[in-house]
Amino acid sequence: MQPIDCHECGTAVLVEKFSVPHTSVQWLSDSASACPRISQANANGEGGLCGTTGLSCSSLRSTIDEAVRQGRIEIGGRVEPVIGQLG
Amino acid sequence: MTTEMTAQKDVVEIDLDDSDEVRLIDSGKNPTRYARGWHCLGLAKTFRDGKPHSIEVFGTKIVVWADTKGKLNALDAFCRHMGGDLSQGLVKGDEISCPFHDWRWGGDGKCKAVPYAQRVPMRARTARWETMEQNGLFFIWNDPQGNPPPADITIPEIPGYGTDQWSEWTWNTFVVKGSNCREIVDNVVDMAHFFYVHYQMPQFFKNIFEGHVAAQHMRSTGREDIKTGVQFDLPDSETISDAAYYGPSFMLDTVYTVAGDTTVETKLVNCHYPISPDSFVLQFGTSVKTVDGVTPEKAAEMAALFTEGVETQFKQDVAIWKHKTRIENPLLTAEDGPVYQLRRWYEQFYVDVEDITEDMVARFEFEVDTTKALESWAVEVQDNIEKAASAAE
Repeated sequence: MQPIDCHECGTAVLVEKFSVPHTSVQWLSDSASACPRISQANANGEGGLCGTTGLSCSSLRSTIDEAVRQGRIEIGGRVEPVIGQLG
Repeated sequence: MTTEMTAQKDVVEIDLDDSDEVRLIDSGKNPTRYARGWHCLGLAKTFRDGKPHSIEVFGTKIVVWADTKGKLNALDAFCRHMGGDLSQGLVKGDEISCPFHDWRWGGDGKCKAVPYAQRVPMRARTARWETMEQNGLFFIWNDPQGNPPPADITIPEIPGYGTDQWSEWTWNTFVVKGSNCREIVDNVVDMAHFFYVHYQMPQFFKNIFEGHVAAQHMRSTGREDIKTGVQFDLPDSETISDAAYYGPSFMLDTVYTVAGDTTVETKLVNCHYPISPDSFVLQFGTSVKTVDGVTPEKAAEMAALFTEGVETQFKQDVAIWKHKTRIENPLLTAEDGPVYQLRRWYEQFYVDVEDITEDMVARFEFEVDTTKALESWAVEVQDNIEKAASAAE
């Protein structure tokens, strides 16, 4: 997975793309405190029964989309995670 | 020798398709311990008939009964005196009485009385399970380490449950033999099986795992060639499903079926509890929201129709599990869901709390690319419709 920082809040995550529509994101910090959007949604009780686990951050999404367009995030083949490690 | 030539020489070309090596299945072993977490044993009201209920779960047998205040209790079924089966006994007041010698056991696990004896012996305490009721369902907490349930590990409350906003739960139970319960949990990430096994066409499919929750967000349409009750016979309906496992065994799914101006909201419970490492009880229930011009009678009727569809679908899952092998090393395409990451999440319930690693609980998101699947399925569905039409002629 490749590291990327959200252009809005700077939260660092790992991202992986198998194709343009596919996206996989590994968070490295607690989303409810690291991401202001998720934090706000959490405070507002948004997201239905499963709370913010049901929501995605639109800023992070656009950060990733932009990085893919600029070629900073490469689209690659599937690699399975190493158990015991983040990623 | 130039650098360029060296570089060229070092390149070892591997054509994977040219390899003769057979991929071997690692079938692993079923776990010997049972998952930590809340496990739903069924509708709470079924345990309130004044009788003891015998349940095979977690490799043992337990007895469940309601005391005089209506509180449901769960104890190990085997009496610590001479091993009698409490679930074959009688409810006497707040206690369960053993059919062998009438020893009386309380919901706190203590022996309260031995009517023929002067006093209860020392250490007359048996194993008990912490119990909970939520949304009309009965749960017991399992923890091989014996810790109480943390306050933040719970089952969410359905807003308005218990009022006439929701139809009564329909409730179905299957006993699945020969499979470990991980098989059903794997379905959370299995985008493609929704087409083949559940007759759905997932347009959008995303998983998010975080803490003890594993969510699945799916937008799908029904297959035009094979219809089931989950579409409520609504033409061109779209299904918006937001489901999540809360812990290892209880999934609650909010399903919106949208067809034109009509939207039907259904809650679907999909839960299980292990009997042994290679058998489990699969249960599902549905409730339809009665608001928006849907009368309670209509909602019950719709829940029955939806249930029929879900039942057909689950039977197909069971048929798959009955014949398949356990597989530790699934071979995946880019269009498959995150099976390995799901199992990493699931593992947190099978290790001691202090051994939970960050990768098991950190937030992970995975959105599946459904483009190729939908193209291929559209052709297959059309082909089936044409074949059926020409066969009917």
